[in-house]
Amino acid sequence: MGYKLGVDVGGTFTDLCLFDEEEKKNMVLKLPSTPQDPSKAIIEGIKNILSINKVNPNKVNYLVHGTTVGTNAAIERKGAKTALITTEGFRDLLELARQTRPSIYDLYKDKPEPIVKRNLRKEVTERLRFDGTVEKSLNKEQVSDVLEEMLKDDIEAVSVCFMHSYLNPAHEKEVKQIIQEILPDVYVSVSSEVLPEYREYERLMTTTLNSYLGPVVSKYVNNFAENIKEIGIETKPYINQSNSGVMSIEVTKNNPVRTALSGPSAGVAGAAYIAKLAGFEDIITFDMGGTSTDVSLMQHSIPKVATGKSVAGFPVQVPMTDVHAVGAGGGSIAWIDNGGVLKVGPHSAGASPGPAAYDKGGTEPTVTDANVFLKRLNPEYILEGSMPINYAAANEVIEDKLSVQTGLSVIDAAKGILKIVNSNMMRAIRVVSVEQGHDPREFTLVAFGGAGALHAAHVAKELGIKKVLVPDSPGILCAVGLLASDLRMDFVKTERLKAAPQNLSLIDEKLNELITEAKEWLLEEGVPMEQQMIDCKIDIRYVGQNYELSIPIKGALKTEENLKVLQQAFHSEHEKAYGYANEREEVECINYRVIGRGATSKINLRSHEAGSTDASHAVLGVRNVYFDEVDAFINTKVYQRKKLKPNNIIEGPAIVEQMDSTTVIPPHSKAQVDLYKNIIINL
Amino acid sequence: MKTKSIDPITVEVMGNALLSIAEEMSVTLVRTSYSTNIKERKDSSTAIFNAKGETIAQAAAIPVHLGSMLGICKEILAKYPLDQINPGDMFVANDPYNGGGTHLPDITIAQPVFKDGEIQAFVANIAHHSDVGGKVAGSSSGDCTSIFQEGLRIPPIKICSKGIINQDIIDMILLNCRTPKERLGDLWAQIASNRIGENRIEELINKYGKFMFKEGLEAFLKYAENKIRDGIKQIPNGVYEFTDYLDDDGIELTKKHLPIKVSVKVQEDHIILDFTGSVKQVKGGINVVKTALYATIYYALKAIIDSEIPSNAGYYRAIEVIAPEGTIVNATPPAAVGGRTDTCQRIVDVIYGALAKAVPEKVVAGCNSAVTTVLFSGTDPRNNNFFVYPESLGGGLGARSNKDGIDGVHVHVTNSSNLPIECLEMEYPIMIEKFEFIKDSGGAGKYRGGLGIRRDYKITVPMEFASHADRQKNAPWGLLGGKPGKTGKFVINPGTKEEKILQSGKVSEIELKPGDILSAQTPGSGGYGLPSEREEKRIKEDILLEKTTLHQAEKDY
Repeated sequence: MGYKLGVDVGGTFTDLCLFDEEEKKNMVLKLPSTPQDPSKAIIEGIKNILSINKVNPNKVNYLVHGTTVGTNAAIERKGAKTALITTEGFRDLLELARQTRPSIYDLYKDKPEPIVKRNLRKEVTERLRFDGTVEKSLNKEQVSDVLEEMLKDDIEAVSVCFMHSYLNPAHEKEVKQIIQEILPDVYVSVSSEVLPEYREYERLMTTTLNSYLGPVVSKYVNNFAENIKEIGIETKPYINQSNSGVMSIEVTKNNPVRTALSGPSAGVAGAAYIAKLAGFEDIITFDMGGTSTDVSLMQHSIPKVATGKSVAGFPVQVPMTDVHAVGAGGGSIAWIDNGGVLKVGPHSAGASPGPAAYDKGGTEPTVTDANVFLKRLNPEYILEGSMPINYAAANEVIEDKLSVQTGLSVIDAAKGILKIVNSNMMRAIRVVSVEQGHDPREFTLVAFGGAGALHAAHVAKELGIKKVLVPDSPGILCAVGLLASDLRMDFVKTERLKAAPQNLSLIDEKLNELITEAKEWLLEEGVPMEQQMIDCKIDIRYVGQNYELSIPIKGALKTEENLKVLQQAFHSEHEKAYGYANEREEVECINYRVIGRGATSKINLRSHEAGSTDASHAVLGVRNVYFDEVDAFINTKVYQRKKLKPNNIIEGPAIVEQMDSTTVIPPHSKAQVDLYKNIIINL
Repeated sequence: MKTKSIDPITVEVMGNALLSIAEEMSVTLVRTSYSTNIKERKDSSTAIFNAKGETIAQAAAIPVHLGSMLGICKEILAKYPLDQINPGDMFVANDPYNGGGTHLPDITIAQPVFKDGEIQAFVANIAHHSDVGGKVAGSSSGDCTSIFQEGLRIPPIKICSKGIINQDIIDMILLNCRTPKERLGDLWAQIASNRIGENRIEELINKYGKFMFKEGLEAFLKYAENKIRDGIKQIPNGVYEFTDYLDDDGIELTKKHLPIKVSVKVQEDHIILDFTGSVKQVKGGINVVKTALYATIYYALKAIIDSEIPSNAGYYRAIEVIAPEGTIVNATPPAAVGGRTDTCQRIVDVIYGALAKAVPEKVVAGCNSAVTTVLFSGTDPRNNNFFVYPESLGGGLGARSNKDGIDGVHVHVTNSSNLPIECLEMEYPIMIEKFEFIKDSGGAGKYRGGLGIRRDYKITVPMEFASHADRQKNAPWGLLGGKPGKTGKFVINPGTKEEKILQSGKVSEIELKPGDILSAQTPGSGGYGLPSEREEKRIKEDILLEKTTLHQAEKDY
């Protein structure tokens, strides 16, 4: 028996979660991040959590790290000096993108600067046709010449992407080999390896971003591995990726772009795990922080993974957890615009100066100030007494900045702020649910992040959602999520084939190739056959359409019967997503996707003993809290989260306070603590 | 007190809900449509209207489409007595003169939303169909001289009655189109999109109640009006004039330099645009009907006054338009209108040219301001299907008061993505040989104009080429001393002995044979400020990046 350790580094905090395999329980630790050198907080955190819990480092048998180093390098444009080699005639594709401008109405908004400067984008003679056959063969001498030039430019990374290479990688492979001979120290990515999928701009951009992040991420994960070795942890660490899976250090170095949106994915994985334990498989995750909120939807406890997300303004086509972000959170500023309407965000008071109620110099009304004024947040202190709250300041700032201009009372203005921020949240949830053909009423809302539990119940009510789950420690769910993720890699191939009996063997050939690739990858990662899980999908469309739906299948089709089942599944998925299906239309397969997963030895939290329904022992006191339902401040019991026991029932209206979060339980609703200490609010 | 009349919270909350509905309609339309034009290039829009047919909310999409939708509901209400409009009815229309449209390929489908037997709102969407019949494939040829040559004209008629699709109407539309299967898929998508919109609006009405819903819509309009009036107040009062010239109409090539003239009068919190002096309507299809003119003006002003104004009829109240009937900016039947976007683009440039005298810090220098459109048609030997492939290309966005322009983008009233080359080559017997910026096409200045695009199409089977484009003779102008950008052109087999530069941007029925290259080269855009004031490091950077040649830099700077 040993321990599993999750280390999640965010912009503000570094969170750790240590799972004791014998006791089947989590120990957690939160400390400020050290953005200059993230390893400082990491080392300190690991040492502390081990020593506090008296755990010898060599007892740690599994370790997962979530990092935003790749994300930040993309956003701050601090990647490697990168060059591109592409088909003659197309060096500007990277900058032209899809020739749209970034904002229709804002003439002064720019596209993001291309990550490879124009003079470092080199063209070579070669060309494949639409079917992968060769129109012009590769001019290798030209490749060597181009590389010689790059030698002079101190290039750190090269990206290679040729037209139609997803069908025939030969030219890209040859170039890769030449690069490895001439520029052995340079980081190389080629598109047919990073993303052998059609649509040239997206493939080019994904591959180039992979190169751009390669050196930075490689160096970082190498250091990380060294650091934990020095601490005395002997196990090989894993790195979290954007698809809610983990990968080894070696794989990470080849696929840095796969970490680029890994931040939100850990929270989603954590929510999936906790909710499943509690018996909820269809959930919408609601991660509301200080400046932004992430929402996502999943069925059967499987986080939804999508392609076509963007990183730092660039499309990245590798599969990522389908998280939708909105720029509103607890610190968002409320203001009256020139049309006389109350707006919330996108500006945020951030951590400094923060909301007026924090008394750190904040002079603009924020969502937090509204929560303080309406006493949903403790009007005297938060963080279990460690941070005083200035109620008068919240009142004053709303009055000065909003009431005076609009004639609204302070109560109405504060109510308005919450209404508006909640309406932004609802819009975000609609994007991941109704716009994808899901009815939110069939889902449970899982609230976490600093402000999630404060708003979740009211957002849920507006959407007709019946249940809200607030995990035991909503603030460290990401670190828990790291320990709940599988080892995972996504494989893809594109070939347009009608879903017809004569193509059965061709379709199966594609799938089988990918399945073999996935199995080999898992073996290399040390996952024996019996622990391997293979999921297959085919992206299908009606002939003539240009968007596909991913339809899951069990494996290679083998029979015409299975082909029919596949077609039928597509029709019903289409009907569900878009309101119509046409079974007489021909259907074609475009992308073949195989996901290889290796079950890691995940955490398995134990349940606690059930107690009585009486929660009175956890009551801290009573305060007047405003609720829309009664349109008044009413007497509301305030509970202390850590004293709550399984089975305790809390009647709304009620407030539950804990170290890093506050849960609001509205009137006419009832909450119960479950065996894993989650609060389940029934609306 | 500007805020007294509206509830500042409900407006924001309901506004969010309405936008969310328009977006959901848009997602449905794009995702379910069949044609690459809508699916990949998102050449479509969705909107919500009040019971009077005023625009309330529009999903962020192509501004010129707002035009087709501005008119549709009003045309329906004018044609059908209220007792003949029933729940579940849907109306289809495309005619610029009778159906509220702006050109025939844009087919609009609108649906009233009822509560208690009364119309509470309309939902509508528009999709650019790649062919609606007419003399050439694509229905958008530069050489049409009458609307009757441009394709099937549809006044507002019921495509659905009480929820049941009227197959007769669909059959008639399909028979008139060269690519019926694709059209059918797109029409279905449009119907599906409206149904989603109808359901969502009903939910919203049920939530707020009829009365509050109506009040909320009105308040949302008032909000937009407040915002635009506040913005107009920041522009110095005065009368500002500007004239620019279109190359030709593609038909009467001897008539060159067709003027578009505007006089913009700014008066406290409202603005009057007078187009008197613009050329009479022309034979070629570059005429603009009134709704398209309005849509263009609404775009132009929102973009420089306040890009955050919700796209609704409230802000139109502060804008007055004078456009003499029978001119190119307010055409009367049977003027051809297929290539109207070229003119719409130029109208925006002209408005900015005028307002540069009042608010030089907000406008941009002359842009590529044509919608360089190429259209290939023929039979694909791989499947024996007749195909029509339209594509519009971006160009330079003019230099700005504090920075360079943008290279190679769609400007003003259009913003459609291009089809991925790998999709294009899979779908059509065409190969792309080049897709790149044209060096030296951005006008010199303290800030350089954005570059035009060169896209070379290699033809692999016999096919026909048609186009509409402009700024092939009249260059995009610079501002405050900035130099003009380069004009565009179409060249067949560039750099060979058979090289042929097409005479006009508006051609049709050009036969291309296998092996031919059609090179589309789009205009750049004007510079801003004196070239002598350009920082040396920027000049050097342009030379390093080969956006400006050394030769040109020596000439300009």
